[in-house]
Amino acid sequence: MPELDTADTGASRRLDELLVQVATGDRQAFESVYQLASGRLFAICLHILRDRGDAEDVLQDAFVTVWHKAAQFDRAKASAMTWLSTLARNRAIDRLRAAPPRPLDDLSVAEEIPDFAPQPAQAAEHASDRERLDDCLDTLEPRRRSLIRLAFLDGASYDELARRIGAPLGSVKSWIRRGLGQLRVCLER
Amino acid sequence: MNVRDLHDMPHDAEPPGADILAGEYVLGVLDAAQRAEVEQRIARDPGFARLVSQWENRLAPLLDSLGTEAVPAHLWPRIRTSLGWPSVGATPRAWQRTGFWQGMTALAAVVALVAVLARRDVVPVAPVAPPVAVTPTTPAEPEQATRPVTPLLHDDGSPGWLASVDKAHGKVLMVPVPAPADAAGRAPELWLIPAGGAPRSLGLVSINRAHTVAVPDMLRDALVNGSVLAITLEPSGGAPQGIPTGPVIAKGDIANL
Repeated sequence: MPELDTADTGASRRLDELLVQVATGDRQAFESVYQLASGRLFAICLHILRDRGDAEDVLQDAFVTVWHKAAQFDRAKASAMTWLSTLARNRAIDRLRAAPPRPLDDLSVAEEIPDFAPQPAQAAEHASDRERLDDCLDTLEPRRRSLIRLAFLDGASYDELARRIGAPLGSVKSWIRRGLGQLRVCLER
Repeated sequence: MNVRDLHDMPHDAEPPGADILAGEYVLGVLDAAQRAEVEQRIARDPGFARLVSQWENRLAPLLDSLGTEAVPAHLWPRIRTSLGWPSVGATPRAWQRTGFWQGMTALAAVVALVAVLARRDVVPVAPVAPPVAVTPTTPAEPEQATRPVTPLLHDDGSPGWLASVDKAHGKVLMVPVPAPADAAGRAPELWLIPAGGAPRSLGLVSINRAHTVAVPDMLRDALVNGSVLAITLEPSGGAPQGIPTGPVIAKGDIANL
């Protein structure tokens, strides 16, 4: 779908440029970045924290950090959306780790792990990157694939993953480490 | 049993290599203490930081599956407040985006104010009008009984100024909806734009005080229905060549004259 890809790249580049402007103290650019990215960042925080109040706090904190640290954004290293998502996601995980472990019954063990669904153009970063990651995840054995998705999207620790799937901690670590190794080899192919 | 056997530990009991550790950090499976250690290493080891950044780029597309979630409207004002920014922006753009209802409330207040101001020199026409409306301090002028009000609106429809045109005396009463000064130090300048003609300056106007603007004789003919009153942001001394240079921040059509 070349048209979608072009649209993505345009939107993604615009966000890159806005974030570069934020580093110069441009409040208008900051507000535009907020308008373009806050919905996606909120979804990330909410998925990890599962509490709207906590997710709002983290999102607020993340955007305050964006304003102060936008100069650290380097478009040669990552897209603005990846940089922003990573920042918000790390804040959400830090908050999750600072809280007591979640009781298991709050987390559905048999939870459906979302597979890639077709996403609207503005949500997709680079369709080709996503397809490649999807293809490589598909080469992993199902258990490793599920664990990697679950860990990344929920921000679940090794301990939590072990409790959730009822497997020994050592095994979970082993599966994930091997899965990561295979994934890197596949993605670099 | 030899020395080699002692080292033949199961693979997964060994600490992972730097690349896998970077992957674990990005994946989010480490506990708080491990995350803190890794973050210190990111700060002092550029090679390791690069590995982390590669994993972030590799895994980020997974987040697409989460889509977006509607952010509550109160969050943006909270962010502004925590950055120490004024709750109603002092930048011209934010100024233009004054909330619609806030604007309408201000409009109602300004209409009331204009009514009071106008009454000071307007002879009441309605037989039931209270006679106290005529104050002795204002010299009586032979004027028309009522004057139309032209709202000069921002892009978002909120009022910036109300202009009351007195064609007979070549005056325009300008009543601003008080607003913060332009952050860049520019001043609002009023322009009269005849239909199909070029803007003619009527001078700078206040952002917080009502005052009368004199219209030069040669421009009085342009005080007619169909002409436009507009405000632009100009250097503090006014537009240098008598030609607008800044953005139009409010405008309104003269009608009902």
